[in-house]
Amino acid sequence: MTELTILGYCSGDSVLHKTDVRFKIACLIMISITTISANFWALSMLTLVLAVTFMHVGLSLTSAFKTLRYVFVLLMFIFIARILSSPGTPVFAFSKISVTREGIYDGVSICWRLLDVIVVGILFVSTTRSLEIKSAVAWLLHPIPFIPAKRVATMMSLVMRFMPVILDQARETADAQRARGVENRKNPIYRMSKLGIGLMRRTFERADKLAYAMEARCYSEERTDPALDSDSNDWIMLVFVMALCIAMTVV
Amino acid sequence: MVSAPPLRKTVYASLLAALIAAGAYLSVPIGPVPIVLQNLFVFLAGLLLGPRWGVASVGVYLLAGALGLPVFAGGVGGIGRFAGPTGGYLVGFIPAVYVIGWIAEKWETRIVYDVAAMVLGSVVIYVFGIAWLQALTGMTLAKTLMVGMVPFIPGDILKIAAAVPIARAIRPVIKP
Repeated sequence: MTELTILGYCSGDSVLHKTDVRFKIACLIMISITTISANFWALSMLTLVLAVTFMHVGLSLTSAFKTLRYVFVLLMFIFIARILSSPGTPVFAFSKISVTREGIYDGVSICWRLLDVIVVGILFVSTTRSLEIKSAVAWLLHPIPFIPAKRVATMMSLVMRFMPVILDQARETADAQRARGVENRKNPIYRMSKLGIGLMRRTFERADKLAYAMEARCYSEERTDPALDSDSNDWIMLVFVMALCIAMTVV
Repeated sequence: MVSAPPLRKTVYASLLAALIAAGAYLSVPIGPVPIVLQNLFVFLAGLLLGPRWGVASVGVYLLAGALGLPVFAGGVGGIGRFAGPTGGYLVGFIPAVYVIGWIAEKWETRIVYDVAAMVLGSVVIYVFGIAWLQALTGMTLAKTLMVGMVPFIPGDILKIAAAVPIARAIRPVIKP
């Protein structure tokens, strides 16, 4: 069974679901730029807003944690590296390693920033249909010469469509291999190649089917995209996010 | 029934881009250290799709990341990533996949050339990655190499070794 991963679209009726994609992309970019130089106060503010939005959209926290478990490992590495590499007043020290106050501060703020941006990305992806992403990308790219905007847009929406499929398939393949005792094999090349072959075989079959389906439905690049329209609510949200970003840089 | 080649290639390139993106979330444990599969799929994009569609695939992946979709390692998107310490590696994916695809297409299905292509591709990625990392942090070259390349070499060797059987198994499946 295809389990719903949080990296795909989840249907719903929230404010974010109704907002125009272009506004959501603008907000996404603004927030991720603002977080680069945000301090603790700004991050707390953003986290509060995100938490409220997260609950409003109605995503499941457990599945978010499940999808992001590797991210947490990565964040931990970054945190440890920061703690050990920043000079400053030591909090405590073993022979050569010393943990500094500045290091802890740095580590926490960097991981917090990354986590906030990840949550923003998740909110975007889970409230936006890939068709909408596609038309927004085409809209963004069409003034740029030499880029086939429509094809790029199609490819990008396919990427977002394939992502959850691949993650599901990878889990299925890994489970199947675990059931057959792959964990007794210590050779990482064997495990990587067997996982890769299983995963790619299946997903390429899926891609083939998709290509046939697109062709059967007379896919061409000259098709009409869904109309993008914005209303006053979108502007209100944009102004709100702008105010949030300005507040974050000021505090 | 045979689909028109551009459509099929478009779908394949999108699939590889999605695999590169999903590769940031997939890992195979070696002892305690998980190896993330991301650049394995960059190699495979070159090997399986050839230079032009390989570049298209990586380009779409990077564009999706720049727009803020959660496709980069660690799930963090946004244009800020290109300015961050790992930006050079990301940009390096494009020439790397071109080099890999070009070599693989020219001497098709010869294992030696596949391996050579991937080694060269890794070198290209590191040239971009290290140059950017050094420019950004102002560390000495030796130290930059110690931080930004040496710890990843064993993983890269394993990935290149794994990419060879994968490419051999998947090539027959791919319709031209």
